[in-house]
Amino acid sequence: MNGDYSEKLRNIHRIFHPQSIAVLGANKVKGTVPADILVNILKADYKGVVYPVNPKENHVASIKTYKYVIDIEDPVDVAVIVYPSSVMHMALEQCGQKGIKGAIIISAGFKEVGGQGIEREEQIKEIAHKYGISFIGPNCLGVINTDPSVMLDASFARKMPEEGNIAFISQSGALCTAVLDYAQAKHIGFSKFVSIGNKADISEIDLLYYLKDDPKTKVILLYLEEISDGRGLMNAVKTVIKETGKPVLAIKSGRTKAGASAAASHTGSLAGSDEICEAAFKQAGMIRCDDIEEMFNKAIAFTYQPLPKSNRIAIVTNAGGPGVLTTDAAIRYGLELTKFKPETTSILKKSLPKTANINNPVDVIGDARADRYNVAVSSILKDDNVDGVFIILTPQSMTEIDNIATEISHLASQFDKPIYTSFMGEADVASGIDILQRNKIPHYILPESMAVAFSSTYNFNKVLEDKQEPIKTFTDVNKEIAHSILNKAIESGKRYLSEEEAVKVLEVYNFPVLKSGLAKSVDEAVKISEQLGYPVVMKIMSEDIIHKFDVGGVELDIKSKQEVENAYQKIIENVKKFKPDANIKGVFVRQMIPPGEEVILGLKRDPTFGAVIMFGLGGIFVEVYKDVSFRIAPLDKKSVDKLITETKASAILSGVRGRVPRDINSIKECIMRLSQLAVDCPQIKELDINPLIVLEDSKGSFVADTKIML
Amino acid sequence: MDNNEVQKRVTKVIANVLKTNEESILYEANFIFDLGADSLQSVELVAAFEEEFQIEMEEDKALEIQTVADAVKFISQYLK
Repeated sequence: MNGDYSEKLRNIHRIFHPQSIAVLGANKVKGTVPADILVNILKADYKGVVYPVNPKENHVASIKTYKYVIDIEDPVDVAVIVYPSSVMHMALEQCGQKGIKGAIIISAGFKEVGGQGIEREEQIKEIAHKYGISFIGPNCLGVINTDPSVMLDASFARKMPEEGNIAFISQSGALCTAVLDYAQAKHIGFSKFVSIGNKADISEIDLLYYLKDDPKTKVILLYLEEISDGRGLMNAVKTVIKETGKPVLAIKSGRTKAGASAAASHTGSLAGSDEICEAAFKQAGMIRCDDIEEMFNKAIAFTYQPLPKSNRIAIVTNAGGPGVLTTDAAIRYGLELTKFKPETTSILKKSLPKTANINNPVDVIGDARADRYNVAVSSILKDDNVDGVFIILTPQSMTEIDNIATEISHLASQFDKPIYTSFMGEADVASGIDILQRNKIPHYILPESMAVAFSSTYNFNKVLEDKQEPIKTFTDVNKEIAHSILNKAIESGKRYLSEEEAVKVLEVYNFPVLKSGLAKSVDEAVKISEQLGYPVVMKIMSEDIIHKFDVGGVELDIKSKQEVENAYQKIIENVKKFKPDANIKGVFVRQMIPPGEEVILGLKRDPTFGAVIMFGLGGIFVEVYKDVSFRIAPLDKKSVDKLITETKASAILSGVRGRVPRDINSIKECIMRLSQLAVDCPQIKELDINPLIVLEDSKGSFVADTKIML
Repeated sequence: MDNNEVQKRVTKVIANVLKTNEESILYEANFIFDLGADSLQSVELVAAFEEEFQIEMEEDKALEIQTVADAVKFISQYLK
């Protein structure tokens, strides 16, 4: 990490932990942002010094104001600026003169409004750069740090959240306030809360690097509308996970225009921006959530409870129906309902009524009071076959809701195993839920959500175990030839490579292309055929003929010398008859494609994430089946494995229902070569290898057709 | 109307809208940054200038006026 970057991280630290703040533009007009920001700082019991700056007022909120920030005698750590965008440059310039290194620019009227706003944003970036200032915003809600030694609420949110271990970074300011309200009702606390707005300087990537080392943060949540540096984001997330094991959960909304544009290849049409985003998130180990509720359901599982050691869970319920629903959900999300040890079963048998179900899912029966829950849950937690417990409660007349919630909280603190709960209902169970939430026991309205959250934490273990492997570099490739073919085509204004050129590019990258040769006489055709080995295919070669079949210019499955001679004569005669003015270059002789399974390999360049590699079931119905998966290049061996196993094609290739297993290793090699080609040749915009014909195990595969777009 | 006259009347309008005394309004002063106008008052200023000088200012141009000097120059130009 270079010096400039560590300086930026130090500035971010300062923004979260300022010893003094100047609020530039604070005023007395209640209910406006410039007034509320100052009030919030004061209300939060901020542990540092505040200096309101306003050229007109003598005092704001009973505090003496300064005309300009440079008039403040003492040093100032951070400036919170609420001046209109038209004068922001002047305010920031003075902050620079004052030696301030961190700023939070709340005001709107920059890039998001276009026109002059864009210029203004550039202007403040230049000033910040000149003085070494790092800033959050503009166009943001502000920054919150709940650390009791800081207590900073430099935002215009309605309330300061509780202290907790979740850091929340949002590109939408309005969503922040909704999240704060949602979280408050559920007693979900935050370590840091940041609205990054236009992220003109400090971005989500910088904050990820900062939060990686923040001891108060255990889980990082992101709400992103636009990703400007996809690769940077992936690297930051990978670093956070690798170095600290902190999970990163993200909601990504919005779709880019580029992804929605009309596509010229199969890969282009299948690789929408959302699919690519999904693949990139997965590859980086980021947990993608569809909505706020899902995000917090998972976040509380991560932050409140230990990670599960396995997927073996137990369910304890006082109602049969919800127990079955949860069992179904658990299995659907890849969890296993464990078989209890005999001693556990024996305790359950002794302590529960005869009508109770003592096997997993355990039904303690509708009239269960706290003691029955206690004995069931505690004996199950002691069982080594159990690595997580889901507790369901429905409120009957005798159900001791609050007592059960207290018992669960007590038990959870004694075991290093995750416990999730679902007290079903609303009014009657509210006080019990409140007890659970205050005691940091994850609670879910729907019992199925426990399975979703558990599978997310369980799968994260696998992400933690994943070690990135070195990327294989093939030395038997010729980048120079590929470049010269591509550059020549670009210079002559082509958007596609011809079939011949495309095959040549793949050939110099040592893809298994079908061998071929151009024959200008019968004798040459025979010679080439004998070299290639029978059977062969013969096609007329002429730039004047596009549809070779229509003029009788193609002969298939030629098996002998005699057949080659006949085919050659026949093709030339046909062409002379149907297209007498065509300029004939010769007859193209190629190995006949042996029968095999058809798969597709693709490459697309995404504006956010760069080169994306696609794999899936090939042929002409690619778009119908959509059995494809994606990864961002370059790919290591593990990523290639996952790329294949994620598709249904994987089962077909392995030889399902008595089919012959196919040479999957040869596909893997092709994918790795494609990954290298993608990195080496940025001139290629899109590429399809469709189909790649995969032969029986260890017999290899062949590129049957390819298309390269520039 | 000469520039001095325009400046005098502009200063008076600003003092009225921003509720400050005329002496504190320097020729180079920025409405927001130096005189403490908020965004609403910036719009009020434009309306007050229009009324004072019986002119109509285009919205785009009006919002470019940031200082007393800008206002004097713009209005003098307009009245010519």
